[in-house]
Amino acid sequence: MKPLRSSRSRRIAGAAVVVGALMATAACGGNKDDDKSEGAGFNAATKGIANASTKTGGTLKFINKQDFDSLDPQRQYYGFAWDFSRFYARQLVTYAPKPGKASNELVPDLATSNAKITDGGKTYTYTLRDGITWEDGSPITSQDVKYGIERIWAKDLISGGPAYLRQVLDPDGKYKGPYKDKSKDKLGLKAIETPDAKTIIFRLPKPNGDFEQMLAMPTGSPVKASKDKGAQYTNQPFSSGPYKVQSYKPGKGAVLVRNDKWKKASDPIRPALPDKVTVTLNSNLDAVDELLIKGDYDVFLSATGMGQAGRSEALKQHKDNVDNIETSFVRYVDFATKVKPFDNVHCRKAVFYATDYTSLQTIRGGPQAAGDIATTMLPKSIAGWDEYDPYGVIERTSKTGKKYKEAMAAARAKAKDELKQCGKPDGFSANIVARNDQPNEVKAAEALQAALGEVGIKLQVENIDGASSASITGSPSVMKKRNLGLSMTGWGPDFPTGQGFEQPLIDGRFIQQTGNYNVSETNDPTINGLFDKALKETDPAKAGESYKEINHKIVDLAVQMPFLYEKNITWRSSRLTNAFSSAAYNGRYDYSQLGVVK
Amino acid sequence: MTAPVHGTSTDAEPAAPVDVAADVVKASVEGRSLRQIAWMRLKRDKLALAGGAVVLLLVLVAVFAPLIVSLLGHPPNEFHQEEIDPLFGTPKGSWGGISSDFLFGVEPSNGRDVFSRIVYGARISLLVAFLAAVVAVVLGTVFGVIAGYFGGWVDTVISRVMDMLLAFPQLLFIISLVSVLPNDLLGLSGSGVRIAILVSVIGFFGWPYVGRIVRGQTLSLREKEYVEAARSLGAGRRYILFRELLPNLVAPITVYATLMIPTNILTEAALSFLGAGVKPPTASWGQMLSDAVGTYKDDPMFMIIPGLAIFITVLAFNLFGDGVRDALDPKGTR
Amino acid sequence: MMLLVVTLTTFAIFFMIPKWAGSDPALLFVGKQSDPEAIEGIRQKLSLDDPLLVQFWHFIEGLFAGRDYANGNDVTHCPAPCFGYSFRTEQAVWPQLTDAMPVTLSLAAGACVLWLVGGVTAGVVSALRRGTLWDRAAMGVALAGVSLPIYFTGLLSLAIFSYQLNWVDVDYQGITDDPAMWFQSLILPWITLAFLYAATYARLTRATMLEIMGEDYIRTARAKGLRERVVIGRHAMRSTWTPILTLLGLDLGALLGGAVLTESTYNLPGLGRLAVTAISNKDLPVILGVTLMAALFIVVANLIVDLLYAVVDPRVRLG
Repeated sequence: MKPLRSSRSRRIAGAAVVVGALMATAACGGNKDDDKSEGAGFNAATKGIANASTKTGGTLKFINKQDFDSLDPQRQYYGFAWDFSRFYARQLVTYAPKPGKASNELVPDLATSNAKITDGGKTYTYTLRDGITWEDGSPITSQDVKYGIERIWAKDLISGGPAYLRQVLDPDGKYKGPYKDKSKDKLGLKAIETPDAKTIIFRLPKPNGDFEQMLAMPTGSPVKASKDKGAQYTNQPFSSGPYKVQSYKPGKGAVLVRNDKWKKASDPIRPALPDKVTVTLNSNLDAVDELLIKGDYDVFLSATGMGQAGRSEALKQHKDNVDNIETSFVRYVDFATKVKPFDNVHCRKAVFYATDYTSLQTIRGGPQAAGDIATTMLPKSIAGWDEYDPYGVIERTSKTGKKYKEAMAAARAKAKDELKQCGKPDGFSANIVARNDQPNEVKAAEALQAALGEVGIKLQVENIDGASSASITGSPSVMKKRNLGLSMTGWGPDFPTGQGFEQPLIDGRFIQQTGNYNVSETNDPTINGLFDKALKETDPAKAGESYKEINHKIVDLAVQMPFLYEKNITWRSSRLTNAFSSAAYNGRYDYSQLGVVK
Repeated sequence: MTAPVHGTSTDAEPAAPVDVAADVVKASVEGRSLRQIAWMRLKRDKLALAGGAVVLLLVLVAVFAPLIVSLLGHPPNEFHQEEIDPLFGTPKGSWGGISSDFLFGVEPSNGRDVFSRIVYGARISLLVAFLAAVVAVVLGTVFGVIAGYFGGWVDTVISRVMDMLLAFPQLLFIISLVSVLPNDLLGLSGSGVRIAILVSVIGFFGWPYVGRIVRGQTLSLREKEYVEAARSLGAGRRYILFRELLPNLVAPITVYATLMIPTNILTEAALSFLGAGVKPPTASWGQMLSDAVGTYKDDPMFMIIPGLAIFITVLAFNLFGDGVRDALDPKGTR
Repeated sequence: MMLLVVTLTTFAIFFMIPKWAGSDPALLFVGKQSDPEAIEGIRQKLSLDDPLLVQFWHFIEGLFAGRDYANGNDVTHCPAPCFGYSFRTEQAVWPQLTDAMPVTLSLAAGACVLWLVGGVTAGVVSALRRGTLWDRAAMGVALAGVSLPIYFTGLLSLAIFSYQLNWVDVDYQGITDDPAMWFQSLILPWITLAFLYAATYARLTRATMLEIMGEDYIRTARAKGLRERVVIGRHAMRSTWTPILTLLGLDLGALLGGAVLTESTYNLPGLGRLAVTAISNKDLPVILGVTLMAALFIVVANLIVDLLYAVVDPRVRLG
């Protein structure tokens, strides 16, 4: 970084050499070796099971860009970590190993059957299976399950994981966690009873129809108290599943080997096909794609889709190895309704009309790599979703060419009209937040900026880094102080019900001063009431009716503007067997089912 | 360089001032002004002149960016997704979508006019580079003169600070700083803040280079006869500093400033490449290259064009800067 | 001294500015469902509420003596040299540094050898054949070299040699894991980085050489009837090395800056990339670690250069 202080020169040639090299690259758009792919076919794992097989052996090789947030089941929040943890952690109940939407059904895992629900939905009782063991051969007891769950109460040490169980079982926070527990066996939590080693009873202060969903998350995994190393447990979680962690090096990867104490008879869920499972980390998405296409690895663990270059190479040359997976993610824009002029519903509706949805879709990668245009918040796989489109988005975007331009012009006229009703006939200025660790969000914000500019809404894109989002979008006062009216964001369900997807986003009682997710600060009595009603329901179909009403209400109030039901392009190696996209795991393959051809 | 130059040293540096319009033959006998000599040398250096011409052209492009774009391009932030293949996000046309409508093609996925963005990017690049050079020159001159002229502990302190700054892991430091600074600062917002930050930070880390040279020159000038003479005649400190020393520092400072600009352009582009530059959608070359990282395999033109823009600009400044230095410093190593 | 100042400044930047801008490092730690109690626990454990200088003192103490992080009953001991734990991944920082160090060292060492050999040779030949086509070409390339941004040449080399021609694979492997792969993955970064620096060295060598060739002692040596090779090899080169070494000291020290860009472009898991990731995550302990390493780099580089001076210049050896 310093100016040159060297000598005089006579120089011409260098530039020419370089320019020549440039032109050579520019000339062709990259076409390489054309080896015959032997994939199971385009979308084989979204339509059914690709390469169904029961053959065991081989090494299943994952590659990933991002490290695990933790291997400690009570501390995981990354979706891929939840899917992956089933290799070494079991729960009372888990999601059915079935393709697509059928995976949302809960089936018994450590327990012999789903819960016996009594006392008006306030008591859940499970009996444990016979033959379930830890990696040292000792039996898994109901006390181990209780101890594992209790760890979530140690908020300072076991941080990072979802808090649902804690909030539902002990809403007042009376218990202080097993590390501060004075009782001898450290099992002081009153809400869980373990009358014997095979029985576990949960007593809820208030019914919650999704309680079993919460137990199916990795936070419901057993932990053997004598093997618990507190915050360090992540480095060597003690296995209850068919594989155990041989090594885990943060930033590098992990190796799992067979847990020979695990008995297949005790586990109806996991076929445990490969002999070994490895995870290799590589922080360059393009390199990841190259290695996958080359055949060095089988699956991209986080399954967030291939990069632009990898995608086009895969689709053009190896289409049979590609699945166009529907994730349960919804991409949307949040309106901070306490920030002017978004306190006025007409100004919000103006944005709905002026937005060019197709442009947002194209900029995020088009219909295959970005997803389908969305009109409501709930993902399609969750009960309560229906086609509801009060702003005529689908009608507009189904047109092409000149017709599309006309439809957009008509929508803009409606936007102008809304602006008039809002008292801002000439438009207004506003800021939109986008996270710069999500380049697609920044690009989408720019696309929105371009579209809204057409009706006089001048957007300024404020990049924030993902790390500070909790203290910016998560803080209503900061949003207001910095005049941040819109937030470009996305959301996926923690568990596949209306509560698991959108309660933190829209229930007024979830507004917090830091770490807030109800960015719109919507506190609508009807919505809050509908949530209460849905939670009391143990019948998912009836709960779904309430969620449907909430879902319509959100769009009517125009407090969140969904624009994409996310899809992505996922690579499936030719070696991979038993692969299918599971809605319960956000469209990822159900990792516990995978096998490889040796 | 209109100030009279007091050059009475033993070297070939001429006594001044001399009428610029003086007859060349006569001047060659009587001694020419530094400026004349420099200009003559520069005129003979074809490459430096070419570099200078490109620099001039770039400055004009940056100044008249809106006009150029309105004639030859589309607004820099306007989307043209009809030029994009929706399935792959790459331009429909070959060679990055270059056409008579889009001279340098279109940007992948959003179809923005690359030509317009290059033209507008020149503004940011040159603006930041020039202003940062100014900051560095002002700071460097002030501290360099102070250190050189006063000597003693003042010199020690300033010199130590300069050494330390030179040895600092600068790039890391700058990105750290940019990443923690808030978006609104001192009443500025948006790109204004970033430009201000970039200018001050790049300038701040640049001043020690200028400072060192100025200090050295001041040290040697301080002992020259004409300064001694002025001092013995009872001239005040201020008079000596501004009338005797500074005019003689103009030449080395000019050379240094010209050579600093290309470095600053590279630094600004590097920072933008790492995401610490001006904020989108404001066009900047480094940002374009960083966007090209994801698409260069399918659309190499989008990488090559901003890369070439940086290369040509920096090369032109270097050629010109070298020429100016050689012209001003006849003893310079050739 | 230098190390201390660099550390303190980094510390101040990352502790004071975020507070002033209203964000909280403890929030980075807690993840998706933040809870006031959890945040408080972390603040205590990391003693984030202590004044800046106290925190700084704890950090220095940890470096030399190790440090205990206590929160109620849970005590985590971090042995010396303790750089603390990453705010984001909660992994100890020191192993991350020792993992990344060899990558950056490999990159720096290889590139350094290349640019010294290439730059100095080109410079000497240019000086000796001053004015010839070779001289012009070499200096032209040199000027192009300093005018090319490394991330551009980097991407270009990747596009041409890795993607189009498929000559090299750029997936980094440690030298002990797979030497062939190590070499393959580094060859492009070496060349790219060396190209940038070689240019400066070529120009410097040429200038110094030209100056020296005009000196009296060279004339004397020639007059003595020594062969040209001896004159240049023994006498001229010896003096040429001194300014080159001075520049080398500066460059090696600042190389981490170049490494940031090279490693980002080529995806090498070295210190530079660690730094960029840490900075975007506002991961103070990692940033501090890398910054300290960078400062250490500078100190060590200068030490090496001082030693080399002694080799090249006998006067220094005596002094």
